[in-house]
Amino acid sequence: MSDQPRNVRELAGLVRDAATRSAATRDAGLRIEGAGTWMDSGHPVRAGVTLSVGAMRGIVAYTPADLTITVDAATTLAELDAATREHGQWCPLLPWGDDRGTVGATVATATAGPFAESLGRPRDLVLGVEAVDGMGRVLGAGGRVVKNVAGFDLTRAITGSWGTLAVIARLHLRLRSRPAVDESWAMVMDDARDTPGGVSRNDPGAALREFSRGPHAPLAMLDLAREDAAALALPAGTRALVRIGGNGAFVAASRAALQSTAGATAVAVEPATWDRVRTRLAPGDRALTWRWDALSRRLRERFDPARVLNPGLLGEEG
Amino acid sequence: MSLETTPLGRERAGLDSCVHCGFCLPACPTYLALEDENDSPRGRLVLMGALLDGTVERDDPVVREHLDKCLGCRGCETACPSGVPYGRLLEAARETITVDRPLPLVARVVLAVFARPVLLRPALAFARAARALGLPAIAVHLLPRRLAMPFAMLASTGRAKAGTDLSDSRAAASHPPPGAHRGTASLLTGCVMEGLFTGVNRATERVLAVNGWRMRAAAGQTCCGALHAHAGDADTARALARRNIAAFEAGGADVVVMNSAGCGAMCKEYGHLLAGDPAWAPRAAAFAARVRDVHELLAEAGPRPTSGAGGVRVAYDAPCHLQHAQRVVAPAQAVLGALRHVELVALADSDQCCGSAGIFNLVQPDVAERVLAPKLARIAESGAEVVATGNPGCLMQIGGGLVLDGRRVVTRHPVELLDEGYARGLGPG
Amino acid sequence: MRETPSFPRVTTSAFPTVADPAAPPAPVDVRALAGALAGIVGPSHVLTRDASLLVYRSDGLPGLARDPALAVFPGSRDELVAVMRALAAVGAPFVARGAGTGLSGGALADGVTLLGLHRLKRILAIDAEARTATVEPGVVNASLTKAVAPFGLHYAPDPSSQTACTIGGNIAENAGGPHCLKYGVTLNHVLRATIVLPDGTVIPLDRGDDGGYDLLGAFVGSEGCFGVVADVTVRLTPDPERVITLLADFTSVRAAADATSRIIAAGILPAALELMDQATIEAVESSIYAAGYPRDAAAVLLIEVDGAAAGLEEDAAAVETECRGAGARGVRVARDATERARLWQGRKKAFGAMGRVSPHLAVQDAVVPRTQLADVLEEIQVIGARHGLRVCNVFHAGDGNLHPNIPYDAGDPEQSRHVHQAMREIMARCIAAGGTITGEHGVGLDKLPYMDALLTAETLDAMCTLRDVFDPERRSNPGKVVPVRACKEWHGAASVRGGQA
Repeated sequence: MSDQPRNVRELAGLVRDAATRSAATRDAGLRIEGAGTWMDSGHPVRAGVTLSVGAMRGIVAYTPADLTITVDAATTLAELDAATREHGQWCPLLPWGDDRGTVGATVATATAGPFAESLGRPRDLVLGVEAVDGMGRVLGAGGRVVKNVAGFDLTRAITGSWGTLAVIARLHLRLRSRPAVDESWAMVMDDARDTPGGVSRNDPGAALREFSRGPHAPLAMLDLAREDAAALALPAGTRALVRIGGNGAFVAASRAALQSTAGATAVAVEPATWDRVRTRLAPGDRALTWRWDALSRRLRERFDPARVLNPGLLGEEG
Repeated sequence: MSLETTPLGRERAGLDSCVHCGFCLPACPTYLALEDENDSPRGRLVLMGALLDGTVERDDPVVREHLDKCLGCRGCETACPSGVPYGRLLEAARETITVDRPLPLVARVVLAVFARPVLLRPALAFARAARALGLPAIAVHLLPRRLAMPFAMLASTGRAKAGTDLSDSRAAASHPPPGAHRGTASLLTGCVMEGLFTGVNRATERVLAVNGWRMRAAAGQTCCGALHAHAGDADTARALARRNIAAFEAGGADVVVMNSAGCGAMCKEYGHLLAGDPAWAPRAAAFAARVRDVHELLAEAGPRPTSGAGGVRVAYDAPCHLQHAQRVVAPAQAVLGALRHVELVALADSDQCCGSAGIFNLVQPDVAERVLAPKLARIAESGAEVVATGNPGCLMQIGGGLVLDGRRVVTRHPVELLDEGYARGLGPG
Repeated sequence: MRETPSFPRVTTSAFPTVADPAAPPAPVDVRALAGALAGIVGPSHVLTRDASLLVYRSDGLPGLARDPALAVFPGSRDELVAVMRALAAVGAPFVARGAGTGLSGGALADGVTLLGLHRLKRILAIDAEARTATVEPGVVNASLTKAVAPFGLHYAPDPSSQTACTIGGNIAENAGGPHCLKYGVTLNHVLRATIVLPDGTVIPLDRGDDGGYDLLGAFVGSEGCFGVVADVTVRLTPDPERVITLLADFTSVRAAADATSRIIAAGILPAALELMDQATIEAVESSIYAAGYPRDAAAVLLIEVDGAAAGLEEDAAAVETECRGAGARGVRVARDATERARLWQGRKKAFGAMGRVSPHLAVQDAVVPRTQLADVLEEIQVIGARHGLRVCNVFHAGDGNLHPNIPYDAGDPEQSRHVHQAMREIMARCIAAGGTITGEHGVGLDKLPYMDALLTAETLDAMCTLRDVFDPERRSNPGKVVPVRACKEWHGAASVRGGQA
């Protein structure tokens, strides 16, 4: 059985119905889906009904000069990227995985990506949420403004809750300007380090870590295993991938620092490399170990007392 | 009963300028030490407001307790974005509540002595004699810390001066001032200064001479009245002020120079103190306009530097009544900058009060001790051998604490250091 | 002076797991409670006398006052936990307070216990390598920065009250500050915390990054309604290699607002972008913090770019270009650290400086989308004029975070009425622009009346639910943030109960 609400009111009605039915049947649980590709936590969802928000999709409001955007939950990352790219902006969610995934799922699972350190994690980038909790209440918290402390922070509670507190219908997100100059560099390390038992006089890895903590902190820096280079079509011997962005003078200084890293050679690569990185190096599915302390249980219980939202997904019955 | 006609009532506008922002809290030594907002400027202003509103009575012990515990350091004034005239409000509030409740006995005795040269001179002479015999140092060893503090303070005023020359700069005469002389100045010799810090007064005169000032005596001068005003005894303060004004008018010097920050802050306030006295108000205002701290005078054209490089390690602690009450900061730095024969070391939190505050350390010894403790700790961290500060109360409070702690660090007035440097020779420039 | 302390009755509760709402907590015996608390913290740290409690009636917003029944100041973590348990044992509501610098009446205790955390002021650990510090809640914001300065680090959230406000209070309010435009608000700098729940339980909280709900994220900004911080680990930020501070001078507020939008749209992310209008400039320049702002300007923008030295001058030049493009009369660059400090001092002390303009000050804190700034500011002036009031604007323009302040005399009932009405209209205008009623000061008591206009009944009810997770008895800072009447039984939930595990 599958339900596909077209708007938040219909969504609320379906959840409310499920909550009502739950008194009588064990199958009232709802499996919440966006694109339907991501929601594997390693725990089975015991749900009789699939509730897809797939029809709730698209850019709702976007004023570029505000650097914020409002999208419906099932908007794909690709759509978000296309809409913002036009105005020289991006939403730096850029999570592990490919851009067919939805914004809603990214936020629901708080999936970060390689740029989280410099550009922010989902928990930092979500400004507001419209969602339906387990009792069918429509919650609208936060909004299109970048600072907001009006009331208790439902947005933070819902972000990363894997749909077990509320079903996300719509999101307000923070955007950033794309850097004026955006370069990616494959760092090819000297062989000496890779010789079994061999010791290099230089430690380019340490130098890069120092670089990434300094004033020229890159957008991302990723250590790569030897086999990753081939899989990503990077030059042989690439052991780190660095993305630097900013104005021309800043990037020039960053580039110079990379190029002077002892024991490594910097080779320019396409920024599109990062799309492959996000897909191929995405951490594999593994059983999610959820922290079920007293507060967490109470949170779940209060927002979804009938246990209709993704029951079992977080292993709470286990 | 309405208090609108009391001294506090007349300061109502100043009280109203407080916006309750709390920026004064971290600037208040008693709040930091006692950790109750009633012992902060904001708390005391609230109590003053409550007095005026009739929410609390004048004899409420809570009001008395927290106003008594204020050091009057006015550190809050330089932290206050609204310009609340805290020092004036404090004195007005103390004066207002003192009508009903007399001061504690110890305070009354001290203030009575200070107001009467006939009593004060023998008292200070006795103190000097005791100091010369080494009695305070013996008392420090025999008495428990709390009782020993007054003796330690006295002992500190006569300590050998580590690494510096005890001889004064009689050589000053051989260092004629450059160019034309800058003007005439009369020194407020003060009570404690002349009694226990005679050397500082002479050094002040010599140092000013080296820097182009011609010194003139002002006979008939007396205690500045600061201790009385801070304690709420405004009538005595006014009486002393009138005598000083008359004495310095007769002296006729261009400026009245102070080497005690507390006295300077008071004398600069004479205009306000006597504003309600039509006969004296203009004279008081004119007098106040002539008052300068010795740092200010010296900084006007220099001062001339001493010679040498490095030497004894000196940390500067800013007296509250210089930094916060008189807002004299840059001139003090200028004087320090002229001390080429010493090594200046940084003292953290040097803008925080040491707990001296006139007779505060006599009437509130516990609070004074708690305020002093972090000061001594910062001095120890600084590695200084000499702590320079331009106020007798601070010299004795810090000096006494150092004596009690068995430390070799000594306290000196900045002009003493300048004087000693000049004795060795003037530097270039 | 005060009526018998009244303790709010827990009249509603959404779920049956809450103690039976029909049975209110037994009345608290204040004298017995004070005695028990004195046994924990010592008698000098419990205040019960009316006069002693006066200063604790208000926070940084003196227009609002409530009388606490007593005040207690624990001096150690153990004392804090013991105090919380003693309060829980008798069902006593309480209100936590740091330095009392808040601007929303959030730390007012109405007939209940005021729990001062200012004595818990130890910095427990500084890890310069990991760039974190662990502190007690009473540590003053600026003193943390001072303590970590030798390591080339600072604590980034910098509310204007940073010289006095405490980290615990910053967490309760999710405090911002000028530099949060680039560096983010308190929430973005808090990594872990140990909190004491209202029932006295001590628990660790984090952001849930390793598989868990973002309980810490929910706690930050909960305005003291979820419990009390025992310690918190915050992120430290490396000092920028270089800082350039600019002061741009405009002949109209609209031009300054336009410049703000242009700078943001040009893709520059300044560290701070602050706007001060003529009334504010006048107040600052008349205070001891006179910063050298041009007195004849209609508005100035204080703009700071920071970061790596490389490329920074290009950013500053671009800022200047955008300002001039929007009609700036002049753009001045601070020559050295002293001038920079002076420019900032004026901004940070602006609220206080307004204190000299009139006896009282109404402080507001609304946010609008950045592109709406110019229109909203103009309408705020119209609203002020209609009520015969002068509105002083000093705010975080880069964030769209407005602070319209109205100096007035609370002793004048007619003027007070106008202030109240003008504030309502300003808030309504900001909400209509797609904004919110508070960006960093919190709701507290002051903004409660606007919550209904901003949020739906269902959302307010859900906020009560979130509170009940942490504080089912609603003893922690009762009566704040969400209007009590909004915490009603959610009718749709009635049928749900049967299905509950």
